[in-house]
Amino acid sequence: MDIPYTVTARPDTGLYNAKVGIWLFLASEVMLFGGLFSSYIFLRVGADYPWPVHELGVTLGFINTLVLIFSSVTVLLAWANLKLRNIAKYKLYLFITILCAGTFMVIKSIEYRAKFKHYSVTLTDGTILTGHLPHGYTIEFGEVKSLSLTVAGKTAAIDADPVRHVVPWIKGELPKFKTESGNLISLDATSFQQLKNEAKQKATEKAKNDGLKEIPNWTIKLVPEKSLTFVLPPSQLLSRPQPGATAISFRDGTTAEGIMINDKMILEADAVDLRATPDKVKSIAWNEHYLGSAWKKVFIEKRDHAIAEFNERYSDGKGGTTRDPSKSATHQKHMFYFKLDAEDHDKTDSHTGSPHKAEASVPSHDAEANSGHQHPTVVLDRKDIQFFSNFTPKLNSYYAIYFTLTGLHGLHVIAGALVLAYFLFCNNKMMRDDPERLANRVEVGGLFWHFVDLVWIFLFPLLYLL
Amino acid sequence: MSAAHTQNNDHGHDHHEPGFIGKYVFSTDHKVIGIQYAITGLLFLLFGFFLMLLMRWSIAYPGQPIPGFDLVSKVPVLGWLFNEMIGRWAPGGVVNGELYNMLGAMHGTIMVFLGIVPLGFAGFVNFVMPLQIGTIDMAFPRLNMWSYWLFFVSGVGMLASFFLGTGSVQTGWTMYSPLASTTGLAVTNVWMHGHTWWLLSMVFNISASLLGSVNVITTLINLRAKGLTWMRMPFFCWAMFIVAFLLLLAFPPLEVAALLQFSDRVFGSSFFLPTGLMEGGQHLDISGGGSPLLYQHLFWFLAHPEVYVLILPAFAILAEVIPANTRRPLWGYKAMVYAGLTLGFLSFLVWAHHMYLTGMGTMMSTYFQITTVLISVPSVILLTGLMISLYGGSIRFTPQMLFASAFLPMFGIGGLTGLPLAFTFIDLALHDTYYVIGHFHYVVAPGTIFALFAGVYHWYPKATGRVMNDFLGKLHFWPSLVGMNLIFAPMFIQGMGGFHRRWYDGGKYFEQTHSASNWFTELTSKFFGLFGMDVPNNLLGLNVLMTFGAVILMLGQVPFILNFWLSVKGGKKVKNDNPWDCTTLEWATPTPPPHGNFTFDIVAVRGPYEYSVPGMKQDYFPQWESEPGKAAEPASVNTKVVPTPHH
Amino acid sequence: MADNPEAIYGAIRKIKLIGWLLAVFTVITVALSYVELASHSWNIIVGMIVATFKASLVALIFMHLNHEAKLVYKILAFTVAFALALFILFYFSNTDPLVYKDF
Repeated sequence: MDIPYTVTARPDTGLYNAKVGIWLFLASEVMLFGGLFSSYIFLRVGADYPWPVHELGVTLGFINTLVLIFSSVTVLLAWANLKLRNIAKYKLYLFITILCAGTFMVIKSIEYRAKFKHYSVTLTDGTILTGHLPHGYTIEFGEVKSLSLTVAGKTAAIDADPVRHVVPWIKGELPKFKTESGNLISLDATSFQQLKNEAKQKATEKAKNDGLKEIPNWTIKLVPEKSLTFVLPPSQLLSRPQPGATAISFRDGTTAEGIMINDKMILEADAVDLRATPDKVKSIAWNEHYLGSAWKKVFIEKRDHAIAEFNERYSDGKGGTTRDPSKSATHQKHMFYFKLDAEDHDKTDSHTGSPHKAEASVPSHDAEANSGHQHPTVVLDRKDIQFFSNFTPKLNSYYAIYFTLTGLHGLHVIAGALVLAYFLFCNNKMMRDDPERLANRVEVGGLFWHFVDLVWIFLFPLLYLL
Repeated sequence: MSAAHTQNNDHGHDHHEPGFIGKYVFSTDHKVIGIQYAITGLLFLLFGFFLMLLMRWSIAYPGQPIPGFDLVSKVPVLGWLFNEMIGRWAPGGVVNGELYNMLGAMHGTIMVFLGIVPLGFAGFVNFVMPLQIGTIDMAFPRLNMWSYWLFFVSGVGMLASFFLGTGSVQTGWTMYSPLASTTGLAVTNVWMHGHTWWLLSMVFNISASLLGSVNVITTLINLRAKGLTWMRMPFFCWAMFIVAFLLLLAFPPLEVAALLQFSDRVFGSSFFLPTGLMEGGQHLDISGGGSPLLYQHLFWFLAHPEVYVLILPAFAILAEVIPANTRRPLWGYKAMVYAGLTLGFLSFLVWAHHMYLTGMGTMMSTYFQITTVLISVPSVILLTGLMISLYGGSIRFTPQMLFASAFLPMFGIGGLTGLPLAFTFIDLALHDTYYVIGHFHYVVAPGTIFALFAGVYHWYPKATGRVMNDFLGKLHFWPSLVGMNLIFAPMFIQGMGGFHRRWYDGGKYFEQTHSASNWFTELTSKFFGLFGMDVPNNLLGLNVLMTFGAVILMLGQVPFILNFWLSVKGGKKVKNDNPWDCTTLEWATPTPPPHGNFTFDIVAVRGPYEYSVPGMKQDYFPQWESEPGKAAEPASVNTKVVPTPHH
Repeated sequence: MADNPEAIYGAIRKIKLIGWLLAVFTVITVALSYVELASHSWNIIVGMIVATFKASLVALIFMHLNHEAKLVYKILAFTVAFALALFILFYFSNTDPLVYKDF
């Protein structure tokens, strides 16, 4: 039983089935990316922060563009050579295409990785510091005298599971715990299961005795032999603790009361952004225990330099400028955003006549240099931090749409490469018996591949350049 | 084409017969897939209806235990399922706000995405369309199987979300952000969350729809039988063609919306969250900078065309059922085709009339009011075509015709009550009230669902070789008609009284609801008084009436379920392959159609609705016959051949 | 598409040429983005014009839309119309030109 028009075109439409199918599929893909691009437009038009321009690595994006264009050419050459029955060349070109897809994804993952490790911290006055967290970000919560666990009476979203969600964060050795009945247990899977069973039994009894319609939740109190200290990233808690919090709840609902010992963030700052700070000169960032007045001086110098440059460049000859400085996003960035590089700092030092510029005691020398640059380390108080995130979708709507667009595009690259690899490696029988049909397949696969290229042609300038 | 067909006839039976699993479970045959879709869809409709019954109980009798709750809980397997899905949220059998929200969200989702679309579009189009265009299968049979099983996974995912610790999603079927982006995030594992499962299930559902619609359109474009030109195609195929385009082009933006909301919930982004958003007096740990309006735009860009995805299959089915039962050609076939195409086009440009209350700006509102009023024109043309088709017919009142004739006024009520909502100034008052609920339920419940029933009765003999019982069919129809109207008509009154759609207690705790009364509430109160029931003479009293209607509707479905299953073996056998004396190609196949469908090389020689042709002895003239009783020769068809473009 | 060998050899030459053109225009896009035009909006407009030109090359030559069956154009015309409706209406829902500023 054969479906008609799988190889030859139907006379009145001029198309074979798969070609109608792929164009319809591409039409729906146009709408998919249309939805994403219109979201991009919506978010950009409505953004209440300066939209990043040239912030991503242009070089990597540029190389990736060339890789995709090259692969678009090779997939066509593969198809043409199959039509000419140059099988060896066909295979070579298709293989190169798949290799290009791999290269594209490797470059993409290098880009992504760098962003996962890079952090941005918004201070309470709107100043943004970006940089790396050499020691990660963990809080230390101590003096915990008891844990209270809640065993749910029915299947619930939060049910005590301390072995997975509490124990791993205890600093030092795991002590023994005293239960309400006075037993001394080590909190592991088996002993907790036992505790949980007991709790459920008690809850069931209570429900029976009180005539309750459903089994209530049951709270277990555990007292450690010595007071506990937890060291953990705040993301492991149900909610981010406020400054000076006296209780924390873990993701399984277990709560611990104690004292916040340390919730400072050690940031190796590489840039400061003052565009959203109302009073740039009085920013928290210039506090003596943060960047300090030396960096403030660098900032003022850089800002004045940017203003002078702008005035010179757009001078209208009558003392004014041909451009409104408040409306030039580039100028705003030149004035209020700058990279924290210790060399600048040293330069200012030498400028002011410090004789030992190399040994000058500046904060930047405390930290190990990451990539040849030297960055000052600041220890941020929890109360000064309004929001922080690494450069992931959480950071702002630009990175959110960047990751969604490129991630979805990446998925398309992978899917396309898999399909082409299937043609290359699994369709050898068809290549011998019915090469025309395989050529149709490669043509259809190629159409999808060009579409992926086409999307990237818009993505690259929109996200990287403009 | 003919070469391929001849080959089929010669070698069609040489194939290795697939086993039970290949034949009925992972089948690539369009008819089996169609039946799979239809039965899954019917089961989901039933389940969605069951959820609605629980909601109606809570609305009419808030705080009172569901009757039979303890009894159901004790049934061995069913009781466990019931308890794990629903019972554990209803302490003592009382539906609380939390459970009501789950029921509401899932009722909408299941009815729209897992009930009506799979049955009305996928089920009917898969079973009927390839037969109607005279081909052996869909263009991509294996893709077809994949789309059914993707849909199946999405259905299982939705149902399974009831069993999770969080229960299923609770934010309405529209999943409006920011509420839907931020609620219930304080859980142990965000991946085991009803909302996450809803979003992922939707991605599966959307993928299934996309694959299905690609398949349908390709089949219609490339596999029509010889002689079946576009304008000889039955209206059924035209309507399904339009629906497939709506699914193809409107669903992707919803996929975007689902992905972005997923990102908001799981990765903490702020696509739909504005700057400075607070919850419980505290700033959320988000960057902000997004907009809830973006979600609504993306959502309604699908959800408005979705309305036509729900209603066009109804028109498709009725365009076949009505001519067959009035023995008259479909009135205004061409006008209906063009109206359908216009409707499909315009349906993409009206979406934001669901968003007047968001304050999206004067220009946008003006634009969307204009297009919304425009789209009522093709809708009216479609309905008028069907209505005029009745005129002068000699009507056979089979069950399918009863449902078809009830559809016309019911859809009319639904459509006309929608007109006022097209204007901002009225919509501002009626937005999110029961008036809106009444309006769209009149369109899809006694509208689309009645048409789907008509379709089931109409094509059942083709699928099984037996006719469904006539008496049980009528016993199904009348209670359904009465029940539907008792549920939905009072909603208009309550809605204009300001009743909000999401009150789990039906408005009991709002003082104003107790004072409004009119002749209808008085009548209701007096009617129930006859039976010794104390129903207050105010708008709240109507809740009891509507719940009463829902029970009638429930009882009305019992004969249908019996009829549907018992007729497979016990129904009356059909007298020939064309039991209703129809004209379209699906009735030329053996009954039930074998794998490969046609036993001869079929061609179409005339239009689809040649009923009561003057001067003919029989009152129908099938598309495939050159003269009564004789199939046309393929060679006799002279189709204009357009040369292939040369490169 | 082309079935005789000469036509295919011709097509191969064309494909390579277009490949080079695309690479050159990518360099132009990057270079243009560093030039400060009258306002940043102009940078976006110019950048999008170049991108659209590149995309048309891919669509017309690589995806051979310059000689495709009529039906494909019909499908794509509707799709592009709806996608444009998305862009334009989304844009205007954030910038309402009919707002009464005096209120």
